[in-house]
Amino acid sequence: MGGSHLALVHGLNVAQQIAFFALAGAMVLSALRMVTTKNLVHAALYLTVVLAGAAGLYILLAAEFIAVTQVLVYIGAIVVLMLFGLFLTRAPLGTGQDLDNNQRWLAAIIALFLFGVLGVTLQKGFKGTHVNAIPITDGGSNTAAIGVSIFHDFVVPFEVASILLLAALVGAVVIARRD
Amino acid sequence: MAQYLPIVVLMVLATGFAFVSLLASRILGPKNPNSAKSAPYECGIVPNRQPAQRFPVRFYLVAMIFVIFDIEIIFIYPWAVMYHQLGTFGLAEMVAFSIAVLVAFLYLISGGALDWGPVKRLSPAEIITRPYTGSATIRRVPRPEALLAGIEPMEGSAPDAPAAPSAPAEPDRVPATTGH
Amino acid sequence: MPGDPLFNNGLNLAVALIVIIKAIIVFVVVLVSVLFMVMFERKVIGHMQNRIGPNRAGPFGSLQSLADGTKLFFKEALLPAKADKRIYRLAPILAVVPAFLVFSIVPIGGTITIAHHVTRLQLVDPPWGILFMLMLSSIAVYGVMLAGWSSGSKYPLLGAVRASAQMISYEAAMGLSIAAVVVLSGSLHTSAIASGQHGLLHFRNHTVPLPAWNLFRTWVVPFIIFMIAVTAEMHRPPFDLVEAEEEIAGGFNAEYSSLGFALFYLAEFMNVVTMSGVTVTLFLGGPDGPRILGHSVGPFWFVLKLFAFLYTYVWLRATLPRFRYDQLMDLGWKRLIPASLGMLLFVAAVRTGSRGWVIGVMVGLVVGAIALMRALSVGARTTEVEAASIARAGRRA
Repeated sequence: MGGSHLALVHGLNVAQQIAFFALAGAMVLSALRMVTTKNLVHAALYLTVVLAGAAGLYILLAAEFIAVTQVLVYIGAIVVLMLFGLFLTRAPLGTGQDLDNNQRWLAAIIALFLFGVLGVTLQKGFKGTHVNAIPITDGGSNTAAIGVSIFHDFVVPFEVASILLLAALVGAVVIARRD
Repeated sequence: MAQYLPIVVLMVLATGFAFVSLLASRILGPKNPNSAKSAPYECGIVPNRQPAQRFPVRFYLVAMIFVIFDIEIIFIYPWAVMYHQLGTFGLAEMVAFSIAVLVAFLYLISGGALDWGPVKRLSPAEIITRPYTGSATIRRVPRPEALLAGIEPMEGSAPDAPAAPSAPAEPDRVPATTGH
Repeated sequence: MPGDPLFNNGLNLAVALIVIIKAIIVFVVVLVSVLFMVMFERKVIGHMQNRIGPNRAGPFGSLQSLADGTKLFFKEALLPAKADKRIYRLAPILAVVPAFLVFSIVPIGGTITIAHHVTRLQLVDPPWGILFMLMLSSIAVYGVMLAGWSSGSKYPLLGAVRASAQMISYEAAMGLSIAAVVVLSGSLHTSAIASGQHGLLHFRNHTVPLPAWNLFRTWVVPFIIFMIAVTAEMHRPPFDLVEAEEEIAGGFNAEYSSLGFALFYLAEFMNVVTMSGVTVTLFLGGPDGPRILGHSVGPFWFVLKLFAFLYTYVWLRATLPRFRYDQLMDLGWKRLIPASLGMLLFVAAVRTGSRGWVIGVMVGLVVGAIALMRALSVGARTTEVEAASIARAGRRA
């Protein structure tokens, strides 16, 4: 491990910084467009960009499995569900509905408040902490580490989660069937 | 992070290829639009009404069920990767998990939430075409009254054609061969 | 062995250059293989249907797909009146980019040394390997869905909604059948999955004269489920309800012309090639095969197996009639998902090597299957009763 290795790590860090700011910028822009656009499907797509950006951030943090989960569950399932919901309730081919209402200032204030709370919490919780975001390379992978913690350390919560999913499924079907 | 570089390069290549070729074709191709070309394609029939406003709730239901199954499958992958270390304990866990999945699944199926079929009749419809015979592969064309027999009761239908008691009534769809 | 050894010594200019060259090679190979696949399909289907197929452009019609592609370049790009312009133009790109990317995780076999840098014959080997494929197939839904929606026309929209419901339905079965492979390999790296299938099959301390491919090690059923799911995912016949010409006039891409259409077409055939590659990797040992004249010829075996799958897909298309939508959904949800979950448990039980567990799981599976049968019949009756009440309500109205 000579100086060249350190320089390399440094170079990677710079690349990560650039990637982070590019992703964050894209996410902020899409989030703003998502709430300002007047087309519901466009809003759903901007949401997809935000979610994909979050997946990109997870990859930057070397949490690949979380990134995959983010894409598979949020982009691959939940936004598709939303789009189906739009097709189901609104005129699917109609554009230009007026989606604005007069509560937007209230919404903006609440959003700012939430942003403030989260920002302060993060600042208080992690200020000055250095989190090492270097991928596990000693033969194992991130997924394996998650496997150990779910199926070895947190068995009971896992089984409870499966019951929760069962309840969610039953509830969803009951609500959707009796329309 | 460096290992993701090839993906990024390939993605840039593929996106660039798609963009450039779309652009090139827009430059190279002719451009004389008219209203017939830009009308919705409906096999030559001029559309005179708005398309259907809503979709069946089934699609939404399937997407919703898929969300939950997707989460369950995501849980399975870390388990599968670590299975050789977890051993029989892991198997027991997964059996418990699968029982929860199976119970949910049985509920879905027995509630008919995953049935897509056409609306079925309580009593089976009468056979209106004869099955294939051994000597010919050509299906026999039924007589018109035989075609009507299984559909619905209406005035003017043949007296020997008993109306199926539970056939779904569709008052709008009078077959063209009788009324007009 | 995780990751590509190319990056062991970090990133420098030479490595970056190798990466770019590899990416370009993959790009070109995939593109050319699509041109080939289109021609191959038309030729083979032609012969299966007792006709000659394309035979004008080039020797034996081999340049037909190139000619078609060139023609599409010079066609007018129509924009439907009610289309959502930006999304209408974005959708073909969203369809074609994931199709390109899937091939990057397929190992073709062995390593190669370029200028003292050892690298695999595989573009990238990320730690989430095979999940990358699942990820891309869930992104590919968007290309189809947005194409249909943005066209502002009713048949494309119908096709798109059908397609996306179909794709998400079969994704579940696909994910479960891949999990059975991961149980055996213990790794998500596609290279590890491929290399883990080397040698001969062992069963209860006996050597069986079969290759140790996952096809056999998973007891064949997950492979069949995976094949069916992949065919549905690509909306190839017999699962091509997305573009059922008789019902919805060509489906989600009906409003596309010129190169927009060409890109969808490209994506479709590219998926056939890349998913065949993934299938070979997962179940048929990837580049595994006997040495020829003392040389290890992984790429040769890989391409040979790939061809077998390409031919199978064409064969399926020529042979099977299209499914009805309710049959498609029944197959996906009521048959494939429980079957793949059951097989996953069975494969896992066999892997433990304990006779008690295997018997226990088998008894459990039988009980589960009986419960499933019972649920199916109850469900059918529920639907019938509901249908009857709908019919009664209709008659009263």
